[in-house]
Amino acid sequence: MLFNSIEFLIFFPIVTLLFYLMPHKWRWLLLLAASCFFYMWFIPKYIFILLITILIDYSAGILMEKWKEDIPRKKTCLVVSIISTCLVLFIFKYLNFCSANLVALAQHFGWSHPQRILNIALPIGLSFHTFQSLSYVIEVYRGNQKAEHHFGYYALYVMFYPQLVTGPIERPQNLLRQLHEHKELQYDNIANGLRLILFGLFLKMVVADNLGMYVDKIYESPFDYSSGDILLGMLFYSFQIYGDFFGYSTIALGCALTMGFSLMDNFKTPYLSDSVQEFWRRWHISLSTWFRDYLYIPLGGNRVSIPRWALNTLIVFTVCGIWHGANWTFMIWGFAYGVLLIIERGLRNIHLFDKIEGKTGRILIKIGNVTKTFVIVTLLWSVFRATSFGNLHDLFSALLHNGALESQLQVAPVAWMSLILFALADIVIRKSRFDVWCGSQKPLIRWCVYAFLIFAVIALSSVEQIPFIYFQF
Amino acid sequence: MTENEKHTIRKLLYKSLIALIVLALLDILYYFTLYPKDLEENCSLMEISMRGEKGVDIVYLGESSNFSSAETDTDKRYICVMIDDLLPEHNVGNLSKSACHAGIYYDILRNIPKRNEVKTAIVTVNMRSFTTEWIYSNLEPALRKEQIMMKKAPTLFRRMLLAFKAYPSWTEEERSAMLTEGFKKQTFTLPHPFPFHNAYDWDHEVGTNCVMFDGSHPALDTIALACHHIKHFAYTLDDKNPRIKDLDNIVKLCRKRGWQPVFNILAENVDQVDSLCDPNLMYLLKRNVQYVTDRYEAMGVITVNNLTAVRDASFLDRDFPTEHYDQVGRQAIAENVAATIKQRLP
Repeated sequence: MLFNSIEFLIFFPIVTLLFYLMPHKWRWLLLLAASCFFYMWFIPKYIFILLITILIDYSAGILMEKWKEDIPRKKTCLVVSIISTCLVLFIFKYLNFCSANLVALAQHFGWSHPQRILNIALPIGLSFHTFQSLSYVIEVYRGNQKAEHHFGYYALYVMFYPQLVTGPIERPQNLLRQLHEHKELQYDNIANGLRLILFGLFLKMVVADNLGMYVDKIYESPFDYSSGDILLGMLFYSFQIYGDFFGYSTIALGCALTMGFSLMDNFKTPYLSDSVQEFWRRWHISLSTWFRDYLYIPLGGNRVSIPRWALNTLIVFTVCGIWHGANWTFMIWGFAYGVLLIIERGLRNIHLFDKIEGKTGRILIKIGNVTKTFVIVTLLWSVFRATSFGNLHDLFSALLHNGALESQLQVAPVAWMSLILFALADIVIRKSRFDVWCGSQKPLIRWCVYAFLIFAVIALSSVEQIPFIYFQF
Repeated sequence: MTENEKHTIRKLLYKSLIALIVLALLDILYYFTLYPKDLEENCSLMEISMRGEKGVDIVYLGESSNFSSAETDTDKRYICVMIDDLLPEHNVGNLSKSACHAGIYYDILRNIPKRNEVKTAIVTVNMRSFTTEWIYSNLEPALRKEQIMMKKAPTLFRRMLLAFKAYPSWTEEERSAMLTEGFKKQTFTLPHPFPFHNAYDWDHEVGTNCVMFDGSHPALDTIALACHHIKHFAYTLDDKNPRIKDLDNIVKLCRKRGWQPVFNILAENVDQVDSLCDPNLMYLLKRNVQYVTDRYEAMGVITVNNLTAVRDASFLDRDFPTEHYDQVGRQAIAENVAATIKQRLP
């Protein structure tokens, strides 16, 4: 079920109302049933794949607790669990990609290798709930989390509907604990939750979807557009993907909060970052911290030699790229970030702007760095957005050679308005969160903001079906 | 329930009331600002309804059959224009759009402004429109999307339905699955034993074994054409069909607004059905036309049965059953409709 669908507008209040009407001991069952319903709305049979992942990691958790003194068995259990969970992800997400590349490689060397294509669609949100499930087994292995013996609660931890499809990727210490807690009906939770949902819908339906229409056109046939149009398309995509994903995460946070559950923030004004490193601390935080905790640190983190650190960084970001999708463009996108981080660290000791003093100077440096980071991120988004290397090549060829063409893009005022408002909102709420900011305003201002957002979501949203970008992952 | 929870509920009810007032104000704001533009961009059907506002006493509701023509036609007039020419004492308005069906016609008719001079509504009845293929047509989502803005509801609510995509949207895979299921449920009964009871099985048998009813093995495209006919005409029409419900609603609406409904049952390529398919298919086709005629004549509707009015040579599409006719075909339909109106309307 999509958050921006009429079905969800009916589903959400019913589930929330039933949640509060039901005694605490049955709430897990209601939420689990609702989450199954929510997930099965897409493709019902894929619930069984989810069930496999849940069963593997649930059993692994219990076994690891049972063998907590028997380290070799505990370790074996962890490895088996990780491999089997990842195997499911590999089969559905990467098998066809690997097969196609093997065929290409074989052809290159003149060998014959039959291509076997599995005719299956990627179950929605597989990468997200696989990672959430993995974080559970790893935390149990590390002894930071007790194994969950109640199958229903564990299944709910993986399937909790607000964050089931595109995160935030939660940790058991945060979500599993909260699922056991008795939640009382509290006005602040409902009000803040609804504020977040409204803001999230605005980001998705007004900002992302209105910009997305132009982005799709430009990426589909870049040669039809002038260089200026293409640059505009790249800029629009930066805000589209941010609005789209931030919007989904915000709605997820809001839905959970109305029931009293607090999920982790996934974004903290990433486009105001003054370095690539900072960008990754503020963008898709639940994923970047996942990689930090479960891959980067186990590889040695910062406490290794510089060449080893560089290698670790490249590995982590390349894997992060592949996590997004089975395509070379994602891999290059991730690898490029690894390279940029290494360069950034290398340049850290060159103090180019040390002689600039005073507040104005520091502000100018900050603006320069933020702009530089934004330009880098925007350029790399074009690698991320391109459907293939061919598409990327076309885009940059058109960018370099279509300068003389007249602009074909007639951008509607609503697209510009939404972009500007989004950028302003990002600056205004940079030190808090929308719900907190809104709650701190005077009632009249607050209601004016509500009225504007409601009006925008209903009357200014795109009427085209544009799916959430991160659904494909 | 704790005291805190009671307080929360009271506060929520109070805030909901304020929210309702805000929504009412936003509805007014929307109606006077963005609504006209939204209607223009997202609901061409409303513009079609408006054509019934002034100067026409007969409205003609049709789909592509109304305006399709052959390249060689010297007379490109629409069916409704031909009717208009045949009935000089009347003014016929064209309320047509491709792929429309009774459900859409109902909304078009309902939205004709109150101030109008309409006396008669000619509604095209396409026998293929009752079947799975049309119900799950890939043109249907666009029509249903347009239909939203014609609903009887506050304008802001309608725009909300549009914003939250309250219309069907299916991928080609989903559509294919729905078609398969639909054909399995598209059942028929014959007065004598027959090996198949639904369109899916019948189509599957002919399509898989490539044997025609007479035992011949023609070229594959001929088999494919026979299968299309089976999928479009192998059904037994009854009052459970959604289009029948829509036609019933049209009759009720016409009664309420004082219009005389005329159901114009379109011609199908019976020559092709005759030569390509088992005679049972022709039986079903005629039986269903009879069902429509009997049901609606009993309700006071004037029905015009054009089923066999157009010969094979006048059908434009050769590899798929459609109701696209050349000028001879369109003229035949128009003459039948005009003659019936002359004869039965005072």
